[in-house]
Amino acid sequence: MSERLSIIGKSMSRWQAHEKATGAARYGADVKLPGMLVGKILFSPHAHARIVNVDTSKAEQLAGVEAVITWKDIPPEVYNPNKMNLMLRHPEGEIKDTQVLTDKARYVGDRIAAVAAIDTATAEKALELVDVTYEVLPAVFDPVEAMKPGAPKVHDFADNNVPMHFDFPFGWGNVDEGCGESDAVVEETFRSASNHICQMEPCAVVADFSVEGKLTIWSPTQHPFLVRRKIADLFGIAEGSINWITPHVGGAFGKYSGFCVEPVCVALAQKARRPVKIELTREEDLLSTERRQKYITTARMGVRKDGSIVALSENLIVDGGAYYTQNGTTTNVNIGSFLGVYRHPNVAASATMVYTNVPPTGGVRGYGNHEATAAREQLLDVAAAEIGMDPLEMRLRNVKHAGDPSSTGIPMETCPFEEIIKLGAERIGWKEKKARPKGTGSKRYGVGMAIAMDVSGAQPFALQQSNAFLKFNEDGSVTLFMNAPDLGQNVTGTMAQIAAESLGLEYDDVHVVKGETDSALFDSGIHASRGTYQFGNAVIAAAEDAKKQLLERAAKTLGVPLDDLEIKAGRIRTKSLPRKWVSVKDVVRGAIYNFEGEHLQIVGKGSYSPAENPPPIHAVFTEVEVDCETGVTTILRILYVADSGTIINPLAAEGQVEGAIQQSVGYVLTEDYVIDAKTGALESSNLNTYKCPGTLDMPDIEVVFYEDAPVPSGPFGAKGLAQGAICGVTPSIANAIYDAVGIAITDMPATPERILEALGRASVTAARN
Amino acid sequence: MKPEIVSLKVNGQVHQVIVTPNMTLSEVLRGPLDLTGTKQGCGVGQCGSCTVLVDGTPTLSCSTLAIAVRDSEILTIEGLSTGDRVHPVQQAFIDLGAIQCGYCTPGMILMAVALVDENPNPTREDVKEWLGGNLCRCTGYVKIVDAVMAAAQTLREGDCR
Repeated sequence: MSERLSIIGKSMSRWQAHEKATGAARYGADVKLPGMLVGKILFSPHAHARIVNVDTSKAEQLAGVEAVITWKDIPPEVYNPNKMNLMLRHPEGEIKDTQVLTDKARYVGDRIAAVAAIDTATAEKALELVDVTYEVLPAVFDPVEAMKPGAPKVHDFADNNVPMHFDFPFGWGNVDEGCGESDAVVEETFRSASNHICQMEPCAVVADFSVEGKLTIWSPTQHPFLVRRKIADLFGIAEGSINWITPHVGGAFGKYSGFCVEPVCVALAQKARRPVKIELTREEDLLSTERRQKYITTARMGVRKDGSIVALSENLIVDGGAYYTQNGTTTNVNIGSFLGVYRHPNVAASATMVYTNVPPTGGVRGYGNHEATAAREQLLDVAAAEIGMDPLEMRLRNVKHAGDPSSTGIPMETCPFEEIIKLGAERIGWKEKKARPKGTGSKRYGVGMAIAMDVSGAQPFALQQSNAFLKFNEDGSVTLFMNAPDLGQNVTGTMAQIAAESLGLEYDDVHVVKGETDSALFDSGIHASRGTYQFGNAVIAAAEDAKKQLLERAAKTLGVPLDDLEIKAGRIRTKSLPRKWVSVKDVVRGAIYNFEGEHLQIVGKGSYSPAENPPPIHAVFTEVEVDCETGVTTILRILYVADSGTIINPLAAEGQVEGAIQQSVGYVLTEDYVIDAKTGALESSNLNTYKCPGTLDMPDIEVVFYEDAPVPSGPFGAKGLAQGAICGVTPSIANAIYDAVGIAITDMPATPERILEALGRASVTAARN
Repeated sequence: MKPEIVSLKVNGQVHQVIVTPNMTLSEVLRGPLDLTGTKQGCGVGQCGSCTVLVDGTPTLSCSTLAIAVRDSEILTIEGLSTGDRVHPVQQAFIDLGAIQCGYCTPGMILMAVALVDENPNPTREDVKEWLGGNLCRCTGYVKIVDAVMAAAQTLREGDCR
């Protein structure tokens, strides 16, 4: 940056941290309205069953019950609860297969009926009185079994339970020929884990029709305008008659890229004619809201002795569970990410989507990319071992550079892979650590690394649009109106920093009104790490618009030419005569309290639709100790090097990466979403059985930002960061385990049982040989 | 179940509330007392979000019956600040980036307050061990531990509240 920045690059406290630290912050469950009822949902106890009859009469007669609904009370058409089909040019890519309340249960936890009552106890009693006659059907829980002839059919339209199969249309070269020219070809099959988002706030939603002609919804969402349109379409209500308020959100990580329980809540409120709140219990949240797809990835890589990758391919079987949600998009992201990071002349991919009678999946942090990166980076280490090359050197030989297409296909403005890999290698002492003896006792030391590339939005694949407006208040401060929800990632604070820097104001001079569709302009919502890059650019445009009006006014007041003016620390100064200045406050106040007929309210508006998609890039280094007697992996240290262009707020950015590392540690070591193989019931239905990492599970972490490659198209040189920060961590841990024990753990999570099993298999093979 | 009137002393103030014997402390705090700063993350004592201090002892309010603490001093997150002045633990959480989504924050802060009351000079390992049962999904805990260490130092250096 040529200009000296005064606010960008400073570690400001997170937006509204004070409210959160004092208990004043209001989340969905904290919303209370007069006459509000408690909503509860009846979840299917069967994995697969036709609903022959639902008798609600007894529940309706119970005192205190105000509404009981089943599929008969809901608009009959099937829909897709995820936002993605509204953002795609070809929406048929995401199949519509879901009913708000279903007439056929497709997993244990499918939504059958709902009640609204005066309190929780009455609502629970009413649920017991809803009499459902099920015709239980055979069910299938494994994707490979589901594709076999004669398997139970989850959806009538999908033969062999395959709703979609596709060969990646953008492949190039010929993988078989490439493998033929290679010195070594490696192939592995990876089975990813399906971890649940398990955000700390169980989903809570309120719907209210009490204002005439208005539906108000309080609900955590990442896409206020898109989910508003979904409700509008489902219930035949005009979008302008719905105000969607996003309260504080207790963690999202992709979860709120679709509906949680909003349509059920709206239907109950409509029938009861009173406000209704649905709060999911932890068990209900784990059972019935978004988690990761399970990928079975068969990956192949052909390499030359010099380490260059000649061919790369993957074939995916995607277990998306009982409904399609956004499995198409997720899988496309997987393939693009798998093939898009290294330079290689021959690539191919295919994917088969499969329905099973298990809870549906959806968007989880780094979706598609996380599993793709894990498979690719683990496979690369296997290939490096095969040709006897240091895997770090092999990466350096194959990484892309500025000007190459990123995983989205758009040429990259910057791409300092080489720099960040070398920086990390030096910092961790890669060569020495790699040469360190593994140990002779039961505990083996290992060091591993991986690289990853993500996105700053979903262009060119999805509708990407941000609109910001801001007004100058009478006191010279600014109010920014935005509806890119703050999920804890601090997008609000980031935007305040960008607005303040752009306008020459102090950070505290910027107020933000957030989270209401009624008072903000359309935005595509928070996903794909687009907030800082895209909304940031919209805020700069809005600030420039307002600044122009402000300076025109000041030029008139000071009697100097417009281009001689600049704003610094709340003062409009003449560049040629530094002592000639007027405060922003005086100009704004004079424009509003104006008795000369020259009244002006300064309002700036800015829109942004990106042409570029600068990818954040990451290099992660991990040291582990694996106990070969117990199978327990202890992560000793994780070093994270990230290029995110300019860092707007270092403290907040570090926190984002540290959180991503935690989620990855959970994915690899502690979290397992377990379905009972006989009944399809969720076994890991609470936080003792679904184990998110605690303080004691976390290793030492170091986060380093490489800031020497600011992005020309980014706000002050910034691009995305946090979503994809999970992607490289998982394979770097897996590769460290591989380094320690010499066996690639291909099935996640890498539980002690799996590691012992793999070691056992290896020792049996060794004994036989 | 027969409701009865119970007097509860919360944040220094005595409240008369009607409770049934099966009502938990978190239900009463969040419901009739409107103290929604106490968060519920699991309802069964597995996440620590609902932690409050009962006679200075960290207590899972979702797993404690309201009638069982009728004779105790209950401190919730709303009672930790003094006027405009927040507790040093709160201030450190705000300043050092220990808060992201904020849902685990009230429980985490009260847990940390109990630690620094008991052990004014904790090591990082002490802090990690003490907070081992309080789950956070956003932060990786690094900045939470930083904040507790910094707050302990502030308190040792004589922040006289």
